[in-house]
Order: sequence, then structure tokens, then C-alpha cells
Amino acid sequence: MFQNRAEALALALPAALFAAAVFLVPVVILLSDGFRSPVGGWTISAYTDFFSNTLNQTVFLRTLKLGALVTVVSAVIGYAAAFAIVNLEPGAKGRMTGLVVLPLMISPVARTYAWIVILGRTGIVNQAFQALGLTEAPLRILFSETAIFIGLLQLFLPLMIISLISALENMPRDAIPAARVLGANWFQVFWKVVLPLTKEGLVIGGTLVFTGCLTAYITPAILGGSKVLMLETLLYQQVSVSNNFVSASVIAFILIVMSFAANILLKRVATARNKMRSQP
Amino acid sequence: MNARSLFIPATLFLVIAFLIGPFLIIVAASFSAGETLAFPPQGFSLRWIAKVFTVESFQASFAMSLFLAIGGTAAALVLGIPASYALSRYKLPGAEIVRTVVSAPIIVPGIIVGLALLRYIVVPFQVGITLALFVAHTALVLPYAVRVVSASLDNLRSDIEEAAVLLGSSRLGAFFRVVMPNIRGGIMSAFILGFVTSFNQVPVSLFLSGPGVRTLPVDMIAYMEIVFDPSVAALSSLLAFLSIGIVFAAERFLGFSRYV
Repeated sequence: MFQNRAEALALALPAALFAAAVFLVPVVILLSDGFRSPVGGWTISAYTDFFSNTLNQTVFLRTLKLGALVTVVSAVIGYAAAFAIVNLEPGAKGRMTGLVVLPLMISPVARTYAWIVILGRTGIVNQAFQALGLTEAPLRILFSETAIFIGLLQLFLPLMIISLISALENMPRDAIPAARVLGANWFQVFWKVVLPLTKEGLVIGGTLVFTGCLTAYITPAILGGSKVLMLETLLYQQVSVSNNFVSASVIAFILIVMSFAANILLKRVATARNKMRSQP
Repeated sequence: MNARSLFIPATLFLVIAFLIGPFLIIVAASFSAGETLAFPPQGFSLRWIAKVFTVESFQASFAMSLFLAIGGTAAALVLGIPASYALSRYKLPGAEIVRTVVSAPIIVPGIIVGLALLRYIVVPFQVGITLALFVAHTALVLPYAVRVVSASLDNLRSDIEEAAVLLGSSRLGAFFRVVMPNIRGGIMSAFILGFVTSFNQVPVSLFLSGPGVRTLPVDMIAYMEIVFDPSVAALSSLLAFLSIGIVFAAERFLGFSRYV
């Protein structure tokens, strides 16, 4: 450890001042816009206005619902996939982890675009359904909540699987056989042994997936179209179509509060666990 | 084999198919000879791959994205390396505040950063869109740069540079001759992570686009809203192979995953 404070500040300040000037200050001003009254002073009327609009309510609830749904489903699938990967031979484990990580390297635009080919009117799913005689007219899967759900799940599932892989690897090896020997069924093994021991990884993965869903723009824009909006696409519309900057500021604040809440929750649960562990 | 021992591998197979399948379909569709985007592809041709290179807006936006990814990441490292060094080696007053400020851009949704920059920097100060994009991408990559460089600094024992200083080297000389060679892998990893992040970034750049000034992913979204031919699929595949290639090379030569 060097003690020279002036030197330390000279090294750290350029980055901090840069981030403050181009990021922190503009964002704070933007957020304060939603609380400013047109006649001077402060007010929350922009927020009551925002939430009294039924379209806004729908979009807000849809964003929460899709975020929660994608998080829960990715946790369920993630445990199965991570469990399978952790129990592979070392070589196969590396290759499978690589395949899970691979999509993260690919542009989200490309990954979302693929779903148009699959879910579109003449897409693979509709071709298959019509060939099987399940439906006569092509189904409208694109531009729906289902399409957004599928797109978001594919986008963020890798983050959940990776978090769960490292959590499962850190679990004591004998925990599962020990519970089995002592007579627990597989449901009890998961609920009483695996879940508590991997809770930290689940929370990390869950926060990444949930905040990812909140702040995803491309997926709802391409797969939801201009009718099925989420908060991000609503914000974009408010600015580029309606020129309504107050409403944009309100949405921005809601998004930030939601992601911060998820982040705080993550830290809370993680530290609660550490405390528990360090007790004698 | 009983039912349960089959269940787990079958789940894994389905998950991998779900994650990788769409990408393979895009790759297949980009070799189609047909006029519209479809799967299975109609015939085989390289015409859409060839077309990608002739679309003028793609050329311009590719150059823009490349400039932002390289320049923005380099700028983030120039700011981030000294800051990481101060955070890991010095008793820095307000260290937590500095850490929070430089890593804040990761928490706030990109679309908000872009809008805030547009409203309160670009418009009032008459800043050019290119400069605004450059600044935004630098801010976006800064948290990753600080995190990865800090991780590799923390893995390096600090007594070697203290020894260098005791042996008569200046603090600066010790940094460049002792510390830098040892964290080169971390810096390269930060560069690659920053490059990929910046190149694929959309929300920050959404509002920051002007006549003829656009990043490649934003341009691709605009193109696919108008034209439904396989050229966006072809471009997506090319970009995907490019970034997979970069990351593979990085893993092979640098042990990328140690830092990220």
C-alpha cells in the first residue's frame, strides 16, 4: 500500500470526473425532470399521471411479469442444465460450458433476428404446425408477449446457467449422496440441500436475468413490435414519437429503481449468507 | 439406463439446442439463393454474403462501430488503468465513491444514458454526434475496464513494485517496467471484453444517431424494418464468426476467462 494521497487522487480522479460529467450528472438531471413542476417547485404529479394511464399500467405490469417469468423459468431450466453439466467428465464439461457461453459473444440483434425466421408467419413453427394439420391459417406468434418471452429467455438463460454451474461446483461433493443415504427423496434433496447451498448463485443469476429483462431494448423492439410494448420500448416511443420527455424521465426513474432494488436484494441475500457461514 | 438418468442429458440437449439452434438457422439462411428470409433456405448461394459488402450504409456504420469499439475501449483503458492502480495499491480517500462512480454506467440502463447525453450534453453544448457516441461508449466500457484490470492487479503481489522502488526505480518506471508486463494479459482481456460490449451495444446508441452517423447494430435494426431479405442474416453470421473467433483466440493465447 502506498500512502501518497495526492498521487492516488491524480490517478483516480480523471476516470471518476469523466464518469461523473458524462454519465452521472446528465442522468441525475434527467431523473429530476420527472419531479419538476411546470409552475416551479417539486411534484410527483407526473408519476400519478403516468400510473393513471391504462396503457402505461399494462406496460409496467407486462415488464414486471415478463421479467419475473423469464427469471423463474430460467432458474428451473438452469438448475437442470447446470446439474447435468457439473456431472460431466472434465473435457465434456468444458465443451458444454463453452456452448452455453457462446451465444453471449453473438450480437443480440443477430440472436433476436433468428426468432423472426422461426416464429414468423412463414417461419419454421408455422410451417410445422400447418404440415401437421394443427392449424390452417398461420398463427400470429411474432409481435406477442410469447415471442418476447422466448427471445428474452434465450438471451439471458446462459447467465443463469453459468451462475448455477459455479454455485453447484462449490457445493460439498458428498452433500447429495449423504442426504440420499439418510432417506431424503429427490424433491427433499433439492429443496433442503441443493437450494440452500446454491442460493447465492441463484440470487446472482436471478438478478442478472431480471435486470437484463428490464433493460433489454432489442428483444421487445423486434419481437414485440410497436403494439406489445415493454418499459424500454415505451420510453423510446415517448421520446421519438410523442416528444414527451417528462414521461420518458418517469419511465427512466422506474427502470432505475427496479434495477437498483434487484441489485440491493442480491447484496442483502449474499451478505446474510456470509454472516450465517462465519458464525461458529 | 432408467428414465431418470436419461432425463438430465435430454434436458441438457434441449437447452443447448434452444441456445445454439437459432444461430445455426441464421447461418443457414444466409446461404440462401431466395429473395426473402426463410428457413429451410431456398438453394445455395453466396449472393447475400456478397451483398453485405456492397450496402453503403453498412460500410459506413461498420466503420463507425469499429472506431467506437477500438477508440472507446482504448480511452476507457487510459482512464481505467490508473484508476484501478490507485484503487488497488493506494490508500485512496473516498475509494468507495470512486469505485461506485466509475462502475455506475453498468447499472443504469443504456437507453437512459443515451437520452441523458442527448438532452443535456449534445443539445445544449452543440456537441457532434460522433463525439457524443465516442464519449458514451467510453463511459460504457469504463466499468468493465476497471473491473478486469483491478482483478489482474489484485492477483499480482504488490511487493515486487515496492522492491523496484526500493532499488531506486521511480514510481512511474516501476509501473511501466514491473507492473505493466505482468498485467498485460488482463489489459488485453479488458480490451476484448470492452470491444465486444461496445460493438454489440444498441440502447446507448439509439438516440445518438444523426444523418449518416449510426452504429452497425442500430443500422441493422433500421434495415430489417424495411427490407426482408437475407442480408441481415448474412451480416449477423459474419459478425458472429468474427466475435467468436476473437474470443477463441483470446482464450487460447491469454486465458481470457481467468479475468472475466
